Amino acid sequence: MSELQKIPVQSETTTVGGSAKRTNPLAHVFDDLMNFCRARSMFMLHYCTGCGAIELPPAMTSRFDMERLGIQPMVTPRQADILLITGYVSVKTLKRIILTYEQMAAPKYVIGICSCTVNGGMYWQSYATAKVLKDYLPVDVYIAGCMPRPEAVIEGLKDLMDDIKTGQAENWKRYFQNYDHYLGNQQKLFGEDWQTPTDIIAEARHYGLMTDNTLGEHTALLEKHQRPLEALGMRLKNREKQARE
Amino acid sequence: MSKDLNIWLDNLLEDIESVQFRRKSSRRVRVDVAAEALPALLELLQGHASYVHLSAITCVDWIEEDEFELIYHLWSYEAHSLVSAHTRIPRDPGVYLSIYDLYQPAAFFERDIHEMFGVYFEGSPDMEKFILTEWNGPPPMRKDFDSEAFVNQTFEWEEYRPKWLEEIEAEGGGITTRPEDVRR
Repeated sequence: MSELQKIPVQSETTTVGGSAKRTNPLAHVFDDLMNFCRARSMFMLHYCTGCGAIELPPAMTSRFDMERLGIQPMVTPRQADILLITGYVSVKTLKRIILTYEQMAAPKYVIGICSCTVNGGMYWQSYATAKVLKDYLPVDVYIAGCMPRPEAVIEGLKDLMDDIKTGQAENWKRYFQNYDHYLGNQQKLFGEDWQTPTDIIAEARHYGLMTDNTLGEHTALLEKHQRPLEALGMRLKNREKQARE
Repeated sequence: MSKDLNIWLDNLLEDIESVQFRRKSSRRVRVDVAAEALPALLELLQGHASYVHLSAITCVDWIEEDEFELIYHLWSYEAHSLVSAHTRIPRDPGVYLSIYDLYQPAAFFERDIHEMFGVYFEGSPDMEKFILTEWNGPPPMRKDFDSEAFVNQTFEWEEYRPKWLEEIEAEGGGITTRPEDVRR
């Protein structure tokens, strides 16, 4: 008994910043495990808007083989983790990108490939393309280049994996936390009556990500114009019934 | 027969005084006609000279001459030759006849030109918006539309000041031409 008492025991409470805080070495084990698993199995939705898409087939197939990192293409936004935007984004396409992004389940990550997503690239004079993708969606990783080689694409994806593993890739939360800012930029481009079928404010409430910047003048404008979603009408044609009538 | 076709056509077009005719090669002809005579020329080419394929209609904005140039590219599968019929119409009001009744693919090209240049084609089946469905500005391919000014007015730019550049600038180097300088 006396021997046991001599064994040094890690104290359960330490004072951090003046207040007593419980630290358990196992407290983050599950978070770390989750982050590790999440980083090693990512489904990627590649929204091929521009020429950068041509670098993806070699990056995905046997030459550079993205799948050895656990990244593989996915067909629907609802099952995807990464939204990969490859190249210039026209204003019309941007609408579809925002619709796609909002459909994805959190946690979600956005990667902008090519110079065009950074600052308009070689289409900076064009009236039809949106310039800075970051203004409309929270972007996790930019891969610059015109176009970036598959090595660069994989390097960028590895950066994202490291960020996820260390729990730093939480940009998707910023979309909920600063929704007013993003919506304001979207409204500036698409007009005041711009709206998407996804209710971001309700989702922010659900995730517990409401901040002071979630609601603002732009969301007020959205509420003014918002129409409730209506299901498309469907009517079945019953030939027998018609014949009887 | 098919080779003779080109010779006959060349002879005919050379004889018409108001038509400027230039054969560039055995497979290319350039014809300049007045706007009033163009539909008749196309009818002749299609009906009697086997030019049945309308490849494209091109529009050029000559803002200094205050004119639009319309170019009709016609291909013949028998004579293996492309006729480019050039015509000019005044920029204002920019209205011309549709050739939909001669060549049905013209509807597609005319709709596109109407959208990009604002030329109205009378008799074309559909002059609605085509690709730029969400565009409310002036026709963007006109020379008097300043795309650059529009972009600077509408969009904002990303600041780019990475650390490595600051290090180089501290040593007296740096970027010689910044994007801001090019953008005016």
